Amino acid sequence: MYDILMILFHVLVFPGLLFVCVIGLLLAGIDRKVLARMQKRVGPPIVQPWYDFLKLMGKETIVPSNANRAVFLGAPVVGLSSLIVMMLFIPIFGYSAFSGSADLIVILYLLTIPAVCLIVGGSSSGSPYAGIGISREMVTMMAYEFPLIIALLSVAKVVGGETLVFSMRSIANWQLSNGCLIAHWALIPAALAFLLIIPAEVGTQPFDVAEAETEICEGPLVEYSGAPLGVFKLNTAIKMFIMTGLFTTLFLGGIDTGMVWLNAIIYVAISIVLTVLTMTIPHAICARLKIEKLFKFYWTIVAGLALLSLILVWFGL
Amino acid sequence: MFDYHHFPVIAVMILFLGAFLVEIFGAKNKAVRNTIAIVVAGISTVCIYALIKPVFFDGEVISYWMGNWAPVSGYAIGIGYEVDALNLFFALLTVTTFFLSGIYSIRYMEKDEHLGHYYTLFLMLSGGVLGLVLTGDVFNMFVMIEIMTFAAVALTAFRNRSFGALEGAFKYLALGSIGSSMTLAGIAVLYMSCHTLNMAQLSSILGSQPLNPTTVFAFALMFAGLAVKAFIVPFHTPAADAYMVAPTSVSMMFSGMVNKAGVYGMIRLCYTIFHAMDQSSLQILLVAFGCVTMFVGVTMALAQHDFKRLLAFHSISQIGYVITAIGLSTAVGLSAGLFHAMNHTLFKGLLFLTAGAVLKATGTTNLDKLGGLSKKMPLTTICFLVGAFSISGLPPFNGFASKWMVYQAAYAKAVTTGNFFYAVVTIVAVVVSVMTLASFIKVTQACFFGQCPDSLKDTKEVPFSMRLPMWILSVACLASGVFYNFVYEKVLYPAMVATLNTVKYIDSMMGAGYSAAAGVQNHLVDAPRLSVWDPISWLLLFVICLVAICLVVVLGDKTRGRLSDAEGEPQDGKYATFFGGEHALHSHVGGSDLFWGFKKDFKGYFNVVQGAHDGNVNTYASWVVIATAVIAIFMVIFVK
Amino acid sequence: MIIVNYCVSIMLICLGLYAVTMKKDLIKVVIGLGIIDYGVNLFIVSVGFNDGGTAPIYTIAELLNGAASTYFVDPVPQALTLTSIVIGACVDAMALALVVMIYRKYHSINADDVRRIRG
Repeated sequence: MYDILMILFHVLVFPGLLFVCVIGLLLAGIDRKVLARMQKRVGPPIVQPWYDFLKLMGKETIVPSNANRAVFLGAPVVGLSSLIVMMLFIPIFGYSAFSGSADLIVILYLLTIPAVCLIVGGSSSGSPYAGIGISREMVTMMAYEFPLIIALLSVAKVVGGETLVFSMRSIANWQLSNGCLIAHWALIPAALAFLLIIPAEVGTQPFDVAEAETEICEGPLVEYSGAPLGVFKLNTAIKMFIMTGLFTTLFLGGIDTGMVWLNAIIYVAISIVLTVLTMTIPHAICARLKIEKLFKFYWTIVAGLALLSLILVWFGL
Repeated sequence: MFDYHHFPVIAVMILFLGAFLVEIFGAKNKAVRNTIAIVVAGISTVCIYALIKPVFFDGEVISYWMGNWAPVSGYAIGIGYEVDALNLFFALLTVTTFFLSGIYSIRYMEKDEHLGHYYTLFLMLSGGVLGLVLTGDVFNMFVMIEIMTFAAVALTAFRNRSFGALEGAFKYLALGSIGSSMTLAGIAVLYMSCHTLNMAQLSSILGSQPLNPTTVFAFALMFAGLAVKAFIVPFHTPAADAYMVAPTSVSMMFSGMVNKAGVYGMIRLCYTIFHAMDQSSLQILLVAFGCVTMFVGVTMALAQHDFKRLLAFHSISQIGYVITAIGLSTAVGLSAGLFHAMNHTLFKGLLFLTAGAVLKATGTTNLDKLGGLSKKMPLTTICFLVGAFSISGLPPFNGFASKWMVYQAAYAKAVTTGNFFYAVVTIVAVVVSVMTLASFIKVTQACFFGQCPDSLKDTKEVPFSMRLPMWILSVACLASGVFYNFVYEKVLYPAMVATLNTVKYIDSMMGAGYSAAAGVQNHLVDAPRLSVWDPISWLLLFVICLVAICLVVVLGDKTRGRLSDAEGEPQDGKYATFFGGEHALHSHVGGSDLFWGFKKDFKGYFNVVQGAHDGNVNTYASWVVIATAVIAIFMVIFVK
Repeated sequence: MIIVNYCVSIMLICLGLYAVTMKKDLIKVVIGLGIIDYGVNLFIVSVGFNDGGTAPIYTIAELLNGAASTYFVDPVPQALTLTSIVIGACVDAMALALVVMIYRKYHSINADDVRRIRG
């Protein structure tokens, strides 16, 4: 009985549903506030994304006549569930709710599920704007998966050495004993590549051509309204937290104060700093990239950085 | 009850007998013909499934000499059928495929003419493939390859009024015939050195001494010949055409059994007969071919406008995964390859069946002309989505489990050998997987979602006997993904051990102690302990989250957030698709409009590769010849 | 070990491959396929040759006199060749049937015209 309650606690409160939603929306709020300040405006309060989410939950949901109803309504919920399950497997500085060998490859594939849910949900709405949006979203995914796998392989090689290690738990443990991975100078290009992948994965500017508001009316989300739209916006916010959290676990992992709540606070603080660094500042400075330029950017520059790291690590430097 | 030692031969012979009976009685009475075909396929299926217990669970190897011509003084003089776990693995795939395809063909083909000939050829194709995977004699394998090729070519040309059927069949026959001739030449050279045709005896002769240039040349010829049957790049061109123009129940058999027969032939050749898989040069050759196949297959698929041709190129690409995994020659790699072969049969069969359902319901497979079919054919859409997510490798379906094993095997090989090439292989495999996902999103958007064009307003769902095989395959895809540990222990591990355990293979056929006398030893089997990803606990957590979220949404304030959708005609534009405030007749983003940015960036590459597929039989034949020459030169220099 | 047989069979195979890869007329392609088959058949039969051996058939006289030590050529390649000849005949028949039907549909049997499926 106690075990079931503990499992439910982990899934629903910490580090599951409630924790992730709250922190994700917090990050989204901080992102908007800092962006506004950089653009010399006052901006919305930091709790604004919570207000938006609660407002959307109360609005009417209109299912268009061209849409496939089951997929249209189910896609956001499936995306949210898979994001939460993924969070349960990422260790917060050595504390993870469920062990069980969740490798990097499993996390990589679980990360594609929310994007696929967005794509399938948009596709099922039957709108031509959604059609163009999902095409761009898929090309964006193809663009950033290539450097992502190279960066993850270089991390696995450093941690594993002569044996094969893919498990997140062992990466966290290795960093506790050997210092955080970013201190290895050969992995710095891989860390840079990962930082550049974060905005594409989350879908913020300058890599948000899939949801270009000015061009294709928000792409896959154009026909969504009410609670499903709220859940999709929540998914974006949670993805901010998960991606920055993944970077922290992989590259900055050597901290352990011994108390879970203090670890969590440090984790969230690092996530806030990373959000501002990788998502707000490029958003304020850069314009939106066109899709073919985005693809070329990821497959040449970012993949080049990650490949440099892999070669350096492979040949023992 | 029955002596199961006769079951392999009964399973093969009854298919040929059934073909004969259908030819005699088929033209007259439709019910008799359908009954004979299904009954015969059913008996064959039952015979093969009955062999699971002795071969997989008890570990026995069934050996059967035709006509009781047992070996005389250590020389094999008869034709032998040998069924160990690897043979039975491929036989199970074969039997499942043709049985489900038979059920599907009853309603799918009902409007065609000359159906008596169709069922005859169908049973002969099935008998040929089943004979290929069960036989223990290398010339019998060649004869079965020829039977398979003839039946396949005739079935490709079956709907001879449709576009391109005759042309596809001719190219398949020409290139397949070149491949078979090379196989026969290889068998002849092999006979010249070893003076026997029995695979067990060949294995013991070739395993006891290093390979001389004659046997290496035979190896190269047979390798190229079987590669033509397995449709590896650059021998893949007949597959792309034939899968597209054949009737879809036959395309499902092509992608499910015929290229697996080629893969089985290559495994037997490299692992059992020639004992050559311990050499790194051969491993690199197989893995290189596999990588090229994967990449060319998926990039060509992204550029296609026809649903079935797209599926054909994906078939080629997934066989690239299998060949890469087999070429790694580790225990995990070999079992990953076998698992992916099994999953490919399941999900590709499912996808072809849904393509057939679309073709039957709408009359076209052109992605530019389809759209919005999910409202007319909802059950087919669900089956298609299961197949698409399986092939893209999304958890918890079976494609994810097998692809994950392939990545682990490739990266483990990279780390243990220190060879950077295998890390590149892992990266290519992941990128190809993402491109596969992209391609199926394209088909989903172009064919099932979006707006329905006016010409397709009357399409209806397909009949039940066509939906039943699709349901069976969807459930199998999900089950083998969630319970993959069970599949691994009970099915894959015995098959993998049987492949590497040539001592048992030889001794069962030729008598105990034969291999020891010849000095043949087993290949190494490193302990295959997989790191466990538990899909069941993941699914449980997923369900808990889903329930929690749905509760929150449903128990919200009923007066404010309500759900509205259109009943009947859209009244006032509230439920119409937003299109900038203007009225549009047709605004569907179809097949050719998607992935514009990707195609633009790779314009040079697509021009070269698509231009190379120019449809001319001379060009395709010259590829086969050049590739055979390259394989032969490489092997003579590097394989010892 | 007849060197001439092996050389001729390799020449035939190369000639057949030349016809299949270089000739545009589909009937010439089919003839090329046939020539490849004949080359391989010649090769198989020559593999089984034993110098000084007779045909691998026992006569009644030999059986009654218990002459089990008559020196034969190898009968197995001859069986293989018979099978292969039959297969070659079937391939040629099916290919020519396809060419006839292609002519009816495409009104040409030039390989450059029979290529509507490409890309």
